[in-house]
Amino acid sequence: MNEAAGSREQLLIRAFVGLADTLVDDYDIIDMLDRLVGYSVELLDADSAGILLADAQRNLRVVASTNEQTEWTELLQLQADEGPCVDCFRSGAPVSVDDLAEASTRWPRFVAALADRESYRSVHALPLRLRGEAIGALNLFHRTPGPLPSADLALGQALADVATIGILQERAIHRGEVLNEQLQTALNNRVIIEQAKGVLAQLGSLSMDQAFNRLRGYARDHNLRLSTVARQVVEADLAADVLEALPAAKR
Amino acid sequence: MADPGRVTRVLQALSTDIPDDRALAERICLACTDGLDIDGAAISLMTASTMRETLFASDATASLLDELQFTLGEGPCIEAATSGRPVLVPDVDDVVETSRWPVYSNAVVEQTDVRAIFALPLQWGTINLGVLDMYRRAPGSLSRVQLGDAMSVADTAALMLLDLRTDPDQDRRDGNRPGAGARAENKPRDRSWGNRTEVHQATGMVVAQLGISASDAFARLRAHAFTEQRLLTHVARDVVGRHLHFTKET
Repeated sequence: MNEAAGSREQLLIRAFVGLADTLVDDYDIIDMLDRLVGYSVELLDADSAGILLADAQRNLRVVASTNEQTEWTELLQLQADEGPCVDCFRSGAPVSVDDLAEASTRWPRFVAALADRESYRSVHALPLRLRGEAIGALNLFHRTPGPLPSADLALGQALADVATIGILQERAIHRGEVLNEQLQTALNNRVIIEQAKGVLAQLGSLSMDQAFNRLRGYARDHNLRLSTVARQVVEADLAADVLEALPAAKR
Repeated sequence: MADPGRVTRVLQALSTDIPDDRALAERICLACTDGLDIDGAAISLMTASTMRETLFASDATASLLDELQFTLGEGPCIEAATSGRPVLVPDVDDVVETSRWPVYSNAVVEQTDVRAIFALPLQWGTINLGVLDMYRRAPGSLSRVQLGDAMSVADTAALMLLDLRTDPDQDRRDGNRPGAGARAENKPRDRSWGNRTEVHQATGMVVAQLGISASDAFARLRAHAFTEQRLLTHVARDVVGRHLHFTKET
């Protein structure tokens, strides 16, 4: 028990130190959000997590996910139309579904898609809040039904708030930019990353998940922005370098 | 709920029989000068390479603003194109703001009465489709609502240009549309592929399969979907699932 509490404290420290470290330098929003979903899964015992942000037309789009497999991101994207995430985004308040089996009348398509693929049983969506409005949402998926303890909900919301702060902070670093442009740039960078995953998956016979890990590992090991590496993989000849680099140490 | 903004709605309602990208650039620029608090707009191709030309400029000043950048090799549009970020200059007299392109800003102040410049990259992932360059004679930023509209216009315009340039339907592109033909109805084009993860990933895979640019790879995917009469997203899914592989011959 004590050991578990101790290790969670260690994790928390590592997460916030890691995030704070990111926020002081010139960084990539997607890289920061990618770290954040990783920490969310570890800290809140979730099986998967993802972040969706609203574009200028207020449509939700996936920017970060702990699982880069196509079918999983499709499932996340489906939430742009229907599901706990879009409800959370519209209301600006957390939406918890302790058992999705009981939510099939509320979100028939979303629940059916979940049943078809991997059997997640509970979902918690936490808003990225800014001035009383939501700019996106953090989604936590669990394979087991049940509520998230209130301490975990509070921690999840703190992580979602860190995501918002990270987005605002990037704006402060690139002086004169406003939120709209940043989100648009971040969403376009996500498209670049998807294209780069395709290039690496093809050349290295990798899954999309493995391709993303290579991309991220290379960026971190070389202290480069994720979107810069992704662009060079698609446009120039960096793909071979990324594939030849030793897989990054697990972090 | 989702209000795309006034100018974006105008673009989304544009008819589908625009023959080429110059005509499309004209419609986009005029929609912007009509609906946004600006005095002129231009769309130019400004990639890092040598391919630089103006597709349309709403007036001589808008044209000069882009011409100066071609000549001097610096300026907000070139920065927008190479960085992939919007470059907003509420006041060209602000030295701090314009210190990244001093020669260009001097030329603008000397040769024009332009005070504010807003340069938005038109892009789809790594594919650079041009830069939308807007100017105003009075200094100041765009309002929050107008800026949101402008961002969404840039997104929509990029997809429209990409759609037009990679359209495999030659009949439609050449304007030889049969009067009562199946494709003749003037309904909005479906560009939902613009946000589909599998389309982005498949584009990357075809880049690697054929050693071609992302925009050529995307055109190949569309051409395949067109000749096979399948949805682009289904073709993309087959590529990602490794059921479909492009070779140089096919």
